[in-house]
Formats: sequence, C-alpha cells, structure tokens
Amino acid sequence: MKTSKVKRKTFVAREDLIDRLSEIAKQKGYSLYAIVNEVFELAVKAEETSVDLRKIIEERNVLKAAREAGFLLGLESLWYEMAELAYQKAKTQALKSWYEAGVWLAKRYATGEVEDPFAAFKKDLEAFTWNAPEFTIEKAEGKISVRIISPRFTESYTVLLTSFLEGALDAFGYKTTSKEISRGAIRLEAFKVEEADAPA
Amino acid sequence: MPQPKGKKLVYVPEDLLEEVAKASRGRGETISKFVEEALKQAVRANKAGYHPQQLAEYFEVMQAQKVLGGAFVPLEVLNYLTNKACQEEKEQLSAKWYESGKWHGKYLKEKFENPTQAFKAFLEASRWDLNEVEIKKEGEKVKVRCVSPLLTTEATELLAKFIEGAMHSIGYQTQKTDCLRGMIVIKFK
Repeated sequence: MKTSKVKRKTFVAREDLIDRLSEIAKQKGYSLYAIVNEVFELAVKAEETSVDLRKIIEERNVLKAAREAGFLLGLESLWYEMAELAYQKAKTQALKSWYEAGVWLAKRYATGEVEDPFAAFKKDLEAFTWNAPEFTIEKAEGKISVRIISPRFTESYTVLLTSFLEGALDAFGYKTTSKEISRGAIRLEAFKVEEADAPA
Repeated sequence: MPQPKGKKLVYVPEDLLEEVAKASRGRGETISKFVEEALKQAVRANKAGYHPQQLAEYFEVMQAQKVLGGAFVPLEVLNYLTNKACQEEKEQLSAKWYESGKWHGKYLKEKFENPTQAFKAFLEASRWDLNEVEIKKEGEKVKVRCVSPLLTTEATELLAKFIEGAMHSIGYQTQKTDCLRGMIVIKFK
C-alpha cells in the first residue's frame, strides 16, 4: 500500500487521456493517483512477461466470448484423459456428443446478430484453441479448409475434435469432402452443400 | 486540421516511474509513448467494463493457466466426458483430478503471496459454470464452498477432488467434506 512517505515524481501525459482517467477514477471512488498507479503497475507486470495491455484486454475478451459460447477452461491433460476413457468406452456416442457440441456452437453464431457468423466463429475458435500451436481455418469460394497441428493431442482427442469441427461445418452448410486425421493432426476440407452435391 | 493535444503533469511514485522507464526501454519505446499506450488501454479497458486491478488479477490467472496447460472445452462435452469416463474409471479419474489440483496448488503457492485468494480468483476466472465460489478464512481454518446447478454429480465429485488437491498443496488438511450434486463444501485446517 502506498503511503505519503513514498517519493513522488511527475510525468507528462496527454491531457485528454488524463481527463478521461480522472473521470473514471471519480466514478469508481478512486484518486487519479491511485488509478494511474494501478495502470502503470499492470503495464509493467505485463511487459515483464512480454505482453502488453492491449493483448491482456484482447485475451480478457476471448475469455468472455468463451464463456458466452459455453466453453470451460481447465487442464488440457484432464480433458485428454477423459476423452480417452469416453472414446474407448463408447466410440459412437462420444463422437455424437462432440459432433452435437459443434453443431450447437455453430448455430449459436449462425442465428446470432453478427454480420458474418462464420468469421465470428472462426475468430473465436482460433482464440479458444490456444493449446494447438497451429490452427487455421480458411474460407474461399464455397470451400473451407481446416488445419490443426498439436503434438499434445491424444489420438482419441484428435478424432473427437474432428467430429466437433464436422458438426460445426455441417451447421454452417458445408459438407466435409475430405479429411486426414492422425494423432495430433487434422486436415479437413468442406464444400458448400449445393456445390458438393453438384455433378463434377 | 487536428488540434495538437494538450499535456498535463501527473504524480506517480518514483520507483514505479523507474520501473516504467525500464519496461519502456525493454520494448524499445520512449517513456512517453509507453505511458500514452498504457493510459489509452486503461481507458479502453474501462469501456469494456474492466478495471485495471481486475485485469491484473485476470492476467495472473491466465498466465497460470497457460503455464499449467489450460485448454477450453465445451461444457456439454465436458459433462458427457465426465459422466462416461466416471462410469469406467472413477477411482482413476478422481486420482487424476486430485493430482491436477495438487499441481495447481503447488504453482499457486510458489507464485502468489496469498495462494488461497489466488485459488479463488483462479476458480472464478476459469470455472464460470460455478455460480458461487467462496473461500473463507476463519482463524486457522478455511472453508471452500462452490455452488453450480450446472454440475452433474460426477463433475461435482471430481471438482471437489481438484479443490482438495490444490488446498493440500497450499498447506491445508481436509477436516470435513460435504459434496452433493452442484454443491461442494469442504473445511480445511
């Protein structure tokens, strides 16, 4: 806790920003001094771990989006363990459960108010899968390509996640036409249903 | 033509300003640029409903999640997996959750001055399926209470094991456990 014995220094900052912070401080019952201290402490702490405040706010937004999308945050190894057990016990049912979760998530975006539901889905999903070093979803001319690489995925988790993605793509009106799955690697290609059904 | 922006003088603790200077040098920026960006982001955060202090707590929790290997999973899928896996290997699964809790607890104890408070923040930030998370210290005793109507019986039991593991690592021993679907009350000493 800061006391009056703390040596103080002044710095020069943009007036509009200081005025705005001053209003915020007033609304929250803080002094400008206290809020500026908190902001600086946070900025320094972030910098120590090589991130910045912008990144922290973005991540906070990811967490909020994940919450709204019905995702939970937990230990990856536990998810894998449970996926393994469930898949070994009841393969079809496990695949169905993940597929349905994918459908549900995609429908949430598709029926929402966002301008481009697929873009919003893609943005969030890429953010939620921070545990996969490589996660790309590309959409072009009625085709969607998904590529995921994570050496940590178990075989069962890889298969189940594929089912989840297929469910989501299906809900967006895309039919999976090719897939390559091996432990820790997923590659999917899906076409808009009308185009996939059309004769070559 | 845009008007040049006015400037104001603001007081901060000397040592904090030195840290800011060091951080700005680390990023290869001038202090004024670093400060301006920090203030801009603070205003932006406020618009999104986040206070700097909350962001700081959140940041620490997220750092912990990343270090410990946190991953997102749909709640429905988690419930399915929990129920299915519990039918098969309940004991084994309980042990895994307990071990995972111990690992989290160890990390929090190392990293935070007040690990029980950090654990509460950790649960609140990551387990938003919990409506209530209470960690109350009464002398040498600590009561942990979590409530969620979304938890299945199996999920409740596994979460209780996780909490026990974490609290044991932080340095407490279980005195009494009350666990029923959607509610966990554990007393530690």
